[in-house]
Amino acid sequence: MQVRVPENLSLMEKLNILSDAAKYDVACTSSGTERSNTGKGVGNCVDAGICHSFSADGRCISLLKILFTNECIYNCRYCLNRASNDVPRAAFTPQEVCDLTMGFYRRNYIEGLFLSSGILKSPSYTMELLYQTLYKLRHEYGFGGYIHVKAIPGADPRLIEATGYLADRMSVNLELPTAEGLRKLAPSKSRTWILTPMRQVQNRMEENRNELALYRSAPRFVPAGQSTQMIIGATPENDYQIVSVAESLYQKFALKRVFYSAFVRVNEDSMLPALPGGPPLLREHRLYQADWLLRYYGFRASELLTEDKPNFNVLLDPKCDWALRHLEQFPVEINRADYMTLLRVPGIGVRSAQRIVKARRLGNVDFPDLKRMGVVLKRALYFITCRGRTMYPIRIEEDYITRNLLNVKERLPFGMDGQVTYRQLSLFDDQNFSMPPGA
Amino acid sequence: MTIFWCEDSLDGILTGIYDAWDSRLGHNQVKLKTDAQDTLELFCDYRQVKTDAVKAEKVLRTIRDRLGEEAFEAVCYAAACTDGGRADAIYRMVVLGLHMKDGRQVVNCLQNRDVSLVMRLRIKAWHEAHRYMGFVRFEELENGVLYSVIEPAYAVLPLLAPHFADRFQQENWVIHDKRRGVMAVHPKDSLWVLADAEELNTDYLGHRSEREKEFQELWKSFCKSIAIEERRNPRCQQGLLPLRFRGCMTEFRKDQSI
Repeated sequence: MQVRVPENLSLMEKLNILSDAAKYDVACTSSGTERSNTGKGVGNCVDAGICHSFSADGRCISLLKILFTNECIYNCRYCLNRASNDVPRAAFTPQEVCDLTMGFYRRNYIEGLFLSSGILKSPSYTMELLYQTLYKLRHEYGFGGYIHVKAIPGADPRLIEATGYLADRMSVNLELPTAEGLRKLAPSKSRTWILTPMRQVQNRMEENRNELALYRSAPRFVPAGQSTQMIIGATPENDYQIVSVAESLYQKFALKRVFYSAFVRVNEDSMLPALPGGPPLLREHRLYQADWLLRYYGFRASELLTEDKPNFNVLLDPKCDWALRHLEQFPVEINRADYMTLLRVPGIGVRSAQRIVKARRLGNVDFPDLKRMGVVLKRALYFITCRGRTMYPIRIEEDYITRNLLNVKERLPFGMDGQVTYRQLSLFDDQNFSMPPGA
Repeated sequence: MTIFWCEDSLDGILTGIYDAWDSRLGHNQVKLKTDAQDTLELFCDYRQVKTDAVKAEKVLRTIRDRLGEEAFEAVCYAAACTDGGRADAIYRMVVLGLHMKDGRQVVNCLQNRDVSLVMRLRIKAWHEAHRYMGFVRFEELENGVLYSVIEPAYAVLPLLAPHFADRFQQENWVIHDKRRGVMAVHPKDSLWVLADAEELNTDYLGHRSEREKEFQELWKSFCKSIAIEERRNPRCQQGLLPLRFRGCMTEFRKDQSI
């Protein structure tokens, strides 16, 4: 195959092409590593991560997110850079990536580098280019900031391992939630082929933890953990399948994060669904809410959704939805309930649950105190008592609470709230309250 | 009621706490205030507090020893805010903490209005400082110095500078808080200092280095091309990055110079 990358592009043109090609990658977090300056180079890492800007779509810009090249030998149907597409192609040199990263980092534009790539010639060849870039950046430029790099499935395991010692986070894209979807839309990739490097990174991280326990100064392998991402809405999986996949990734592959990316139709292809209403953003939002419940709130996927009810409620967030289906467990007494029970109350988050547990050791907690601690009382009040009393006289009854919860407008992050206020009464479900799978 | 009128700074508030306690009028008979233009209260005796670094240091040491590291941090952060009631709230929190068996528990006593206010202000100031860790934009000057202007709502420059002192240890950099007229100056490989902006020679700040313009253009075009048009959502963007920050940020500025 001939290489279509023109030689004489300026740095500006390359950056435009290759950041535009990388924008569909979701992960732009810089959290998970705490590292101070070595005293020789430039840069450190902050555990909480830092957002440096926000783009016009409201997503954070934390890392310089670029592809090394958008030239690719694969022809995945959902991808803008697939081999059969006629798009402008470009490729950086390691030197250029280093210059850009250092120039941006010194001006505090970015927290580090996010380096992904299309597949040039072969997976190993591409992985080696990524490795060279990272090596140059870490050792020649003394860069101490954050680096997120993609592990390329099919590349030589030794290359992946060597790269892992230079990066903070590694990720392998799962692309689509199920193996069938992958067969349909990305015929040259297979599920096992993707999971192999993921398993390799996981095993190496575990070994590395033991090494670090023995020798504090042992080199650190992928200290911020690994993540993955999958496209939502390109294939007909339901939410239950997606959440179950995410759960098993957290349990079996010890992932730090799973990212969901609402499918954006960039290619005209008969195998791809038409999305007249734009990307399924609400669905993506509900999945992220559920993801948080899995990771921080002690929920299991089977509690949130079931085979009979495989999709999320459009009107209520997953936690409210769960609570309404389990009213027998409520109300909860704030001054007595244990931490894990408090976490399950709608309107109480991790921070406020921690505050409640600390504060009640020193005396009773009442409703005004809860408000000051950051509990969202307009949601929580139907599910809690303080010293045996509810805030108002309420009925613990599903219809009553649902009606009241729906009156409280949920703040959605994408302008879906506040646009439609009143509408004609209709007997039909023309607002699409029940989401068809694949929407 | 006696009102102790202190200077609007951490040292001022801490001196106020020292004087109020030292006056032996009784904790219920005293109150701390910072803002000067406030309406004067009737039937009150006003006392001006003269900021004294030694007294402030003593109070700060006591807070750290008796109320613990977390309370110490909370007081420093809360004092950076602009809330009118913060001086009194900090005073009450210190009084409460010193009367508790274990002073370190005072930060958990969120049922108390004053403690809860201090802890909320702490988060506000921390959040502002954390945002600025990302939103500070340096420009490279002709002599290689990195220069940045910020206009934070709270006095977060002292909370911000240690972060950059670690990150850019090998660089000469200056962060200028225009609203308060102070600068954090960090010479290469040494400690950062806080200085009055008017006392420094600022003539050399006008000249940008050769490649500065190129990098600014690259960054602006990166910010444009990274956004997905199908997901466009300026309201969400504005919620996360309010307009008040954008004046000092390269990617939102139309003209070239600060």
